[in-house]
Amino acid sequence: MTKAKKYWKGLAELNNDPIVDKLKQNEFVEEIPVDKFLGDSDISSTSTSRRDFLKFLGFSTAAATLAACETPVNKAIPYVIKPEEVIPGVANFYATTMYDGHDYASVLVKTREGRPIKIEPNKTGTNARVQASVLSLYDSTRLKNPMKSGIESDWNTVDADITAELEKISTDGGNIAFLTSTILSPSTKQLIADFSSKYKNVRHVQMDTVSSHGTLEANKTSFGVRALPMYRFDKAAVIVSFGADFIGNWGHPNNEKDYALGRNPNDGKMSKHYQVESTLSLTGSNADERIQIKPSEQAGLLSNLLNALNGAAADNRIAKMAADLSKNAGNSIVVCGSNDTKIQILVNAINDKLGNYENTISLSAPSYLNQGNDTDVAQLIADMNAGNIAALITYNVNPSYSLQNAAGYNSGLEKVSLSISTSLYNDESASKMMYSCPDNHYLESWGDAMPTHGEYTFMQPTISPLFNGRQFQESIMKWMGGSDYHTYLQNYYSFADWNQSLHDGYFTSNDRKVNPASFSAIIPSFDLSKSEALEFEMTEKISMGDGSQSNNPWLQELPDPLSRACWDNYLTMSASTAGDLGITNWNISNGALNGSMVNITVNGTTLNNVPVMIQPGQANGTVALAVGYGRTAAGKCGNDIGFNAFSLGNGDATIEVIGGEYEFAAVQLHHTMMGRDIVKETTLADFIVDPTSGNHKTLYATHDGPKTGDKVSLWDEFDHATGHFWNMSIDLTLCTGCAACVISCHAENNVPVVGKEEVRKSRDMHWLRIDRYFSSEMTKELSAEEKISAITMYAEMEEPSGNPETVFQPVMCQHCNHAPCETVCPVAATSHGSEGQNHMAYNRCVGTRYCANNCPYKVRRFNWFQYSENDKFDFNMNDDYGKMVLNPDVVVRSRGVIEKCSMCIQQIQSIKLDAKKAGRTVRDEDAQTACSSACSTNAIVFGDVNDDTHQIQGLKKDTRSYALLEHLNTDPSVFYQTKIRNKA
Amino acid sequence: MHTKIEDIFNMIRINNIKNYILLFVVLFAFSYQALAEVDGAQIFKQNCTACHVLGETKLIGPGLKGITEKRDKEWLKKWINNSSELIASGDADAIAIFEEYNKVAMTNFYFSDEEFEALFGYLENPPVEEAPVAIQNTVVAEEEGLSASTQMMLIALVLLILIYILTSVKNSLKESLGQDTESVSETVQSNFTLFFSNTINKLFVGLFFAIVILKFVYDAMMGVGITTNYQPEQPIAFSHKIHAGDNGIDCNYCHVSARKSKHSSIPSANVCMNCHASIVEGSIAGTTELQKIYDAVGYDPDKRQYIEGYEQKPIEWVRIHNLPDLAYFNHSQHVNVGKIECQECHGAIEEMDVVKQENDLTMGWCINCHRETEVEMEGNDYYTSLHEKMKEQYSGEKITVDKIGGLECGKCHY
Repeated sequence: MTKAKKYWKGLAELNNDPIVDKLKQNEFVEEIPVDKFLGDSDISSTSTSRRDFLKFLGFSTAAATLAACETPVNKAIPYVIKPEEVIPGVANFYATTMYDGHDYASVLVKTREGRPIKIEPNKTGTNARVQASVLSLYDSTRLKNPMKSGIESDWNTVDADITAELEKISTDGGNIAFLTSTILSPSTKQLIADFSSKYKNVRHVQMDTVSSHGTLEANKTSFGVRALPMYRFDKAAVIVSFGADFIGNWGHPNNEKDYALGRNPNDGKMSKHYQVESTLSLTGSNADERIQIKPSEQAGLLSNLLNALNGAAADNRIAKMAADLSKNAGNSIVVCGSNDTKIQILVNAINDKLGNYENTISLSAPSYLNQGNDTDVAQLIADMNAGNIAALITYNVNPSYSLQNAAGYNSGLEKVSLSISTSLYNDESASKMMYSCPDNHYLESWGDAMPTHGEYTFMQPTISPLFNGRQFQESIMKWMGGSDYHTYLQNYYSFADWNQSLHDGYFTSNDRKVNPASFSAIIPSFDLSKSEALEFEMTEKISMGDGSQSNNPWLQELPDPLSRACWDNYLTMSASTAGDLGITNWNISNGALNGSMVNITVNGTTLNNVPVMIQPGQANGTVALAVGYGRTAAGKCGNDIGFNAFSLGNGDATIEVIGGEYEFAAVQLHHTMMGRDIVKETTLADFIVDPTSGNHKTLYATHDGPKTGDKVSLWDEFDHATGHFWNMSIDLTLCTGCAACVISCHAENNVPVVGKEEVRKSRDMHWLRIDRYFSSEMTKELSAEEKISAITMYAEMEEPSGNPETVFQPVMCQHCNHAPCETVCPVAATSHGSEGQNHMAYNRCVGTRYCANNCPYKVRRFNWFQYSENDKFDFNMNDDYGKMVLNPDVVVRSRGVIEKCSMCIQQIQSIKLDAKKAGRTVRDEDAQTACSSACSTNAIVFGDVNDDTHQIQGLKKDTRSYALLEHLNTDPSVFYQTKIRNKA
Repeated sequence: MHTKIEDIFNMIRINNIKNYILLFVVLFAFSYQALAEVDGAQIFKQNCTACHVLGETKLIGPGLKGITEKRDKEWLKKWINNSSELIASGDADAIAIFEEYNKVAMTNFYFSDEEFEALFGYLENPPVEEAPVAIQNTVVAEEEGLSASTQMMLIALVLLILIYILTSVKNSLKESLGQDTESVSETVQSNFTLFFSNTINKLFVGLFFAIVILKFVYDAMMGVGITTNYQPEQPIAFSHKIHAGDNGIDCNYCHVSARKSKHSSIPSANVCMNCHASIVEGSIAGTTELQKIYDAVGYDPDKRQYIEGYEQKPIEWVRIHNLPDLAYFNHSQHVNVGKIECQECHGAIEEMDVVKQENDLTMGWCINCHRETEVEMEGNDYYTSLHEKMKEQYSGEKITVDKIGGLECGKCHY
């Protein structure tokens, strides 16, 4: 055994000094002030040691991991008695009618397991608001129970009280008034008539938020018919609109479709569209020629036009238009958006002079979409203030918000002894009423409508009422001592085939026609004059309309087609006017748009801190503000956004520029194409001569001579000859930018709403965006001619012209067959399908965002947050009711993954399956994506290029078809058709 | 040596033949018995159960327990073949029964004599009621695992004994040579030390254990979320064996949407009531389980009518086959277009009293099937032109689902 050696650290240890022993026991000579830095003297007194802590930590981590691994027990709860027509997992479609007092549409409703989830067009097209109305059904801020003096009550109490009071008023001879929106329903009018005969002294006043009183009165004076004419935009060779936004918000919902029908350049015939307006409207942006005027010039120009048609000299601005109209007399349309009776009589005179009536304009089967009477409304308010109205029943209206004279209405309301509202929300008006009765949403109601003479459409419930609501008709029947509006409705239509009509959603009776008198009226005459004042005009946005669906997050986040801003309204102003006033818009470092603010006073009403958006196309010396904003009782998502333009009314404005800056949420940074050919366009004249005009393919030099890009590819080609090859064509000539497709895509694909702040950070989630480009004064040709330097040229190219030409380009994932995104994904989460789509497997995505960086079209969207069930994003996906609108066939994406347009692969799979089950090929009409089915103008066409029966095959071969950014050779499955303008 | 082995083989063969003969005889006897039984039972089930039970309970007609003793067989034959004729002939018993059962005439059956024999045979000796099947939560695979580990333990034991014996032998040998003997533990210890003094050995053993642990961890991780053999207890002890197996009810009768929809939905209670409005007593659990359906829909089995104004309560079944939300699966695609039998994915449901998840439902499992399954293109116009092209492309090869895009991500994940 070896002898142990002794080692020591120092002499003290060798000498067995006691201090050494002590040091051996305690590592630290001085006590560590643990309590001091932990700040809690109690810690030392606890018996939990550091090791215990680690043990607990380890145990809890393990326990949490184990718990997470356990599969949850899922319940499957079938119906007790399954309704015969419901097959879980299979959608049912019901034909119904959408009408909310402002928008009308005949629609198909897609329901899944009894829940409406999507609106599709039926007899009429659908706009963005109609598409979004399905989400308004699931608005949890709707009025749920009847209220009595602001306190929740129940129907029995409310009905008993109301009936008693009505009877008392009736015996006392008091006046009862109905203040409603335009009533399209003949049976409801009958009900109101029944009500009148029971209670006596009943008057029915109809009001429109955006009034057509002037037109209606003009038609009454001119033709003895108080109705709106039906226009056949498809038949007209020349269309002249003086400030009527007939594609966007004015008139019949089928205007857009008809307009597009008349603008097919392929057969060489295309209507010529002139727009004379001050604020750039959707219609104006589609016009072939747009003339900017101030609102005060409108009457004079119309007078001048009539005189010109009678042979006098026309004003320079409208000379061409007058000549075109004369040439196409009887084959043209002149419309005007003014609410002035005299101006509308003038327009009637012009159309009569041209012989357009009963050719392109029909008053024998007129439209009843607007019936509001401003005189009646004013009289009612006067009577209310005079104390002559004992009872007021409102339906589908929000006068405290939408009347310019809301103050007068509110003060009059205080003198009404019995005030009852029937509305969806406890809104600005309902909350002031004695009784607010919850109405049912149109998807929960029975009903009918006669939008045009002799045409009836039906409304049927597609879901049981979500809340304790009751539709207006049922309520007034109750107050008359009856009930069951459904039977009443059926009896009313005893002359029609009820089941068939309900199935189709409409029926047409031809036996009755209105016989308008021939035109007779004193034609007013106006001088060509122009006010020097700053003129204000109310406008209407595509997204918000009159604001009745203000609490709809889809609509709030829908970027305006022209300004590309959402979640706001703002004063629009031309760059020149803004320059004069010292107002600017600027982009901050992250690209977000900021702007100056002003105080604006119109007709004695002032709105403070209104932001200004510089809008190309706005006439100099004019400003405009969209209605539908500035709601205070719309619900959590619509409250306190923007300013109420209804309170101003049209008129001269004074503006005071104040300090401060406003933050917009605009989704497009650049206004122009900067000389690139993202949108290819040409004129009709050139196109007729050369069908490839505007769409010459770029040739690349090769050893074998010049070749197009697709011939010099480095990529291996996919085999697309076998099986389906799904393609999409987007016709830029037909696209009006109406954005119905954007909302349709939202609804179909569970696209989340992210809110204003996130949109400002360019984190909007729209799978489909509609890029809008304005033309600039500067062109490459001009710079070459005038020897302008490239730097100056590009700088000037950034500035849109004062009266620009506008193009809209819907861009979604282009489904490239040489996809740049696919090659950079490190985990193969995005890959190519054999049928031409670019697939995206969310569950595989790890969120590197390489694909988004490598995508030349910038169509990939990243989920920066968990947008569902997150209080920070308190929109429909964070709401038990709002979630009911989700499409059960599409995954709700989680945080940290990329998402993008899938070409509605769920629908493709479904139509393929239907075809396989039926043992046939896929029919062209079945091949639809959400965007193509919502497109009223048929600009978006979807189908299988390999199928001879599909329209898309011809479109792909068309001389107008081109791929976006063709020079990148991405070979997309989406292609565009050249934009063609009807001008020389 | 050679001959010996051959002998053994021969013996085995002879034994086998004997065994086969024995087996054959037994099987034949069983099947003969089974045939006779099935006949009577089948006749009863197919024709009688809608109105009668093999007990004392009255359904539409009387309970048939002991009927062969109560009535004369010839009388029974006449009654079953044409009861109205018997009543018309003025038979007192027949008239009495007719009156008792609200003058509801019994259907005429016209059975043959053999069929009657079989039926009466069945009625005379009804099958003994089985005790209600206990809900089995123990997993079969686990049982197999247990027996495997027992085997391992046995082998270990044998090895230990072997070590002991060999050491003893070694010791006795050493003793006989006059060397120092070692105890068993000393031998083991010294060998152990010797073995581990070699680094290579250490490495191998370490590696072995590392691999075992890794394999264990890997299996555990890969098993997360996989619920093969999941067999939860259901709110109603519904037996697929009785319904789909014994009674041969088509799967689609209850799971009606499997051919039409992505879901093969659990039938609503009204589907159960199609039969159970009259069959108020089950063969296993009697009335207890059926009562749960009646509680859901509001039905009075004694009065045989629905209760007015009853607040219906849905039945909360436990979902067995759970696919994650990120995967889209469509039953009609597989059942209707692909013509796949339910059992291919769900196992022999018709033999399960309590349904369990047969397959692991993983993506690998899906894909495997897509790689192997041939697409039935003939006779479906959807595939005609595709088929023409693909026949050329894959001349002679099977056109499987993966060849028409069945492995693409976007086909199931959207």
